[in-house]
Order: sequence, then structure tokens, then C-alpha cells
Amino acid sequence: MGATWLLFTIGISLILAKIGDSIIERFELPGVLGELLMGMLLGNLVYFGIVAPQYLPIVSGQGFETTAAEISDFLAKLGIIFLLFLGALDTDVEQLKKTGLTATVSTVLGVFVPLILGWYALMAMGYPSREAFAGGVLLTATSIGLTVRVMMDLGVLRSEVGAASLSASVMDDFLGIALIIFAVGSGSLLDLSLKIVAFFIITGVLGWYLIDYYIRFAERLHVEKGVLGMAVGMMFLFAALAEGWFAAAIEGAFMMGLILSKLPEGKRIMEDVRAIGYGLLVPFFFVHTGAMLNFRVFGNGDAITLAVVLSVIAIVGKVLGRGFGAWITAWGRGRDFLFTKENFWMSLQMGIGSIPRTEVALVNLMVAIHGGAIPQEDAQKFIAATLIFITVSVLITPPLLKWAFKRDIESTIAEKVETRKSQISERKKMVVQQKKGIRSKLLR
Amino acid sequence: MYDIERALQSFHSLKLGDIMPSIPSMPVVTADTPILSVLKILKTRHHVWVVEDKESMKLKGVIRYLDVMDILLPPDAHKFKLGMTSTTMRSILAGAEKAGDVAERDVLAIEADATVLDALIKMKRYRTQVLAVVDGERLVGEVSLRILINEFLRLLRVGDVKWAQHGSSSQSESP
Repeated sequence: MGATWLLFTIGISLILAKIGDSIIERFELPGVLGELLMGMLLGNLVYFGIVAPQYLPIVSGQGFETTAAEISDFLAKLGIIFLLFLGALDTDVEQLKKTGLTATVSTVLGVFVPLILGWYALMAMGYPSREAFAGGVLLTATSIGLTVRVMMDLGVLRSEVGAASLSASVMDDFLGIALIIFAVGSGSLLDLSLKIVAFFIITGVLGWYLIDYYIRFAERLHVEKGVLGMAVGMMFLFAALAEGWFAAAIEGAFMMGLILSKLPEGKRIMEDVRAIGYGLLVPFFFVHTGAMLNFRVFGNGDAITLAVVLSVIAIVGKVLGRGFGAWITAWGRGRDFLFTKENFWMSLQMGIGSIPRTEVALVNLMVAIHGGAIPQEDAQKFIAATLIFITVSVLITPPLLKWAFKRDIESTIAEKVETRKSQISERKKMVVQQKKGIRSKLLR
Repeated sequence: MYDIERALQSFHSLKLGDIMPSIPSMPVVTADTPILSVLKILKTRHHVWVVEDKESMKLKGVIRYLDVMDILLPPDAHKFKLGMTSTTMRSILAGAEKAGDVAERDVLAIEADATVLDALIKMKRYRTQVLAVVDGERLVGEVSLRILINEFLRLLRVGDVKWAQHGSSSQSESP
């Protein structure tokens, strides 16, 4: 009985996720919002008593604990693990090494300004320090996808600002994912630091140098999907280590993805991992996350207040942090450039491009809830607030970016018009000269 | 049947260095070559190797026939999700202009002293029809299914007396 309805739930979640993704994409917004919306719809059918929980085991906690619900909860966790594994596998580490000073400084400030502002604001609202810190971490990682799309539409993606924004967003994903350890990790700071060092030595240093031999070994097994199986197997071992030490399995998955990304053979398994991830586990994770939002939470003013505070800090903190970080480096053009209008606008563009948040904020939210950094009694408020600030951030970014790049685009258009005019006048001159030549030939 | 089996055995043990085409006959461009020039080459080839410069021949990447889809697709066809962003930057509409902008940097490679059997296993394992033959980071040749087919057919033609003499007559891949 339980298996029947669990299978039904997985099936209906996947179908609705893909439909929701498609609908929202038509509005040029991240498809993940559609998956979350479908999840909210399913979850609230249960919360409002329209469907009995045993027929739709997509929600867990809140008095809905069943074996099927626990399994769906675990499937969602696997979704997070695969999402992070894929994200890291897709990273171009060589490209990242070329990141300039502007991207580096603006990343660091773009992460720590919203983190610290969020942390202190939540503490001022009465949340305990650990929970407030977790709330701050939710605000750290940018989702570059929307910015890339808008910049692409505006034709500025390959500009200095576009390139720096891309590098900075990859790096702030790293930082955002790493910082959640400090929210969910237990024990003293020294204990946690030692574990972090040991974890990075085991997974990072050893993995980085031994992965080549490991993949060669997997190749020599000569079994169907041997490399894929061995790579995913090792990813789960890393995830288990990270879960055991920090209650954050994502760190292990992310490290394994990064390590594998340096090998062409590793990149080749990406399509298979993507099929598992985006065909099953990742959309299920987003639907499951959406389903965790009980609309009744909006009856409580705290959730709205939290949403407003997090939304404001998410936007202002990022624009200030990343923008100031870019401004202070003067884009590597020296002091003379520091107080110029161009520096101001380029830095503002950089800051605005970093506003959107989606996947990593949701991942960190779930890790913080499962890891106990955000207690169950506050989970609903944080889920509601996170979904709201994600929505606000993706809705305001495109118009703000268009406004910020308006003068660049206008000057580019003016330049093009001037170039075209000069080309036309040159052609006219050529035609006149040719005509003169023909006439003089005819006269002769 | 016996001939084919013997030909296959002989074929499998061939060294790639003996059958790979010479560099001048291969589709090789430098990283700063305009995309339009690359597309012109891809009209008649299945891939283009991208090297740092023609002297060092340091391999920077490969542009495969199927990559043309990413190069030509409009922005709304690209999906932006964590783990699904790398292909986006290859689009002309994302500002890609040069071969280096659109090349796949992680190239599956094999060494010249590997055998045809090694190459076939690697091709099957990673579902690819072409491998770079490298000496360290330097591109020294290529092996593709077309080259392998040509070599196998040549072996059948040559007959058992000459099977021990593995001279190459194959050309670089072209459709």
C-alpha cells in the first residue's frame, strides 16, 4: 500500500515538476520556481486535508511521519547530493584559476556582507546565533543563470562586467556551500576546524592526485557503466564522510564533482549523471522543498517579517558587497579610475548581477533544517521566507540589470550607428570615384 | 570468415602511431581562429582540434560536429541550472567569437603507442568517435572511427602476407 502511493507520488511529482518548469521558463524565469510551485500545490493538498497524507507522501515532519514520507525525504536528499555533484562536475577549474582580482575581491565581500548583515539582523530579531548564522548563509550564493540570460539578451555577457560576474558567481557558490558547514557542524570551533582540514586533505588533496589512478582502475574493470558506478560510489563515500563529520553530505558530493571535473573522462560521465539528476532526483528535490511550505504559515506575521528582512538584505547586501568589492579594485585600472563614473556604473552592474538566488539557497536551507541549525519549529518560517526572497530576487533582477546597462547599450548603439554612417559615406565616396573613373574612360 | 578474424586480430594490435594521419592533413586551428572559419571547416569535417599555436601544438580543446548546436542555438534554448551552464557560453549569442571560446577543453586523448583495441575500448566507453593522439600536452595525431574503418578495409585488401607490415595509407577523417 505504502509503496503504491510512494510510486504514485514520485510519478506525479516528476510530471508536475517538468510541466511547472516549462510554464515558468516561458516567462523567462528560472524553471526551478515552477517546480517549487508545483510542490507547494501538492503539499498544501495534504496540509489542508484535501488529500490524506498516506496517498501523497511528499511531506514529512509536521505530524506526517510515515515510512513512505521518510523515503521521499531521503530521495530529496539524494537530489541535493546529485545537484551539487553535477554543479561541481560542470565547473571549469582551469577557467576559475584565471579569475582576476576584481572578481575575487567582489566575491569575498559579496558573500560576507549579506552573511554578516543577515546574521546580525536575525540575532536582533531574537533568533539564536547559530540559527541567525544559518539564515545569513542562505543569502550568500548567487544563482548566475538568470543574470547570464539577461546579459546575453543585452549583448554584454562577454564584457568585462559579464566575465567578472560569471567568475564571481562560481566562487560564491563555493563559499556559500562551504560556509554552511559552520552552521550545521557540531562541536567546538577548533574541533570543527580540524575536521574541515582533515576533510579537505582526504577528499581534496588525495582525491585530486589519486583520481587519475582511480578512474584508470575503474576502466580496467571492463563492466557496463563501470566508470560511472565507481565515480558515483566514491561520491557517496565522500558524502558519507561529510555527513558524518558536518551533517552536510553536499560537501562530499561537491568535492568529488570538483575532483572529477579535472579529467576529460570525468566530464564524459556528466551526461549520465545529468540523466539521473535532472531526470529524477533534482526535480523531486525541488518539488519536495516546495511541498514543505504550508500556506498556513502566512497567517503568522513572523514569516512575513522574516521574508521582508531576508529579501532586503539579500538584495542590498549583495549589491553593496559585490559592488563595493568591484569598485575598490577599480577594475585593475589604477587609482585614477577609482572615482570615475565608469567605475561606479560597472561596479553597480556587477552588484545587481549578483542579486538572484535559487538553487544553492534552497540547498543550504534544507541542509540547515536537516542539520538542526534551523530548528523544526522555525523551519516553516524560513522555508516561506526563503521562497519569497528567491522569488523577489529573480523578479527584480532583469529590470534592474536592463536599467544598469542602459547607458552602455545606448552608447554601443550610438557607436554602431556612427560606424555604419562612416561606412555608408565611404561607400558613397567610392561609388562617386568609380563613376568618375567610368566617365573619364568613356570620354577618352 | 577466417580472413576477417585474422584481419581483426592484426588490426587490434596495430599501434595508433602507425595509422594516424599526419598533422597537416588534420583539421587543426589555433584558439584565436574566428568561429565562422571553424564552421566552414565543420561543413566537411566532424571535428576541429584547437591548439594554442601551430608551433607548440599544445592541445587546447576540440570542437565537435554536435557542438555546432550549442554555437548556433538562441539564448532561450539554453537551460540555466546548477550543473547545466557550461554549454551556454559556447553560444554566438553569448558573445563567443573565437575557436577557443567554443572548444570543449576536456579532450579525450590517447597516446601514440596505444593499440587500435585500446582506442576502440575508449571510444566505446565514452561514446565518442574521435580521440586526440597526444604526446604530453602536444597534439601529434588523431584516431577516428573513419580512420579505423579505412585501416581495417585496407588490411583485408592487403591480405595475410602483408598483415605483419603495418604501413598506413589512411587519411584524416572527412565525411
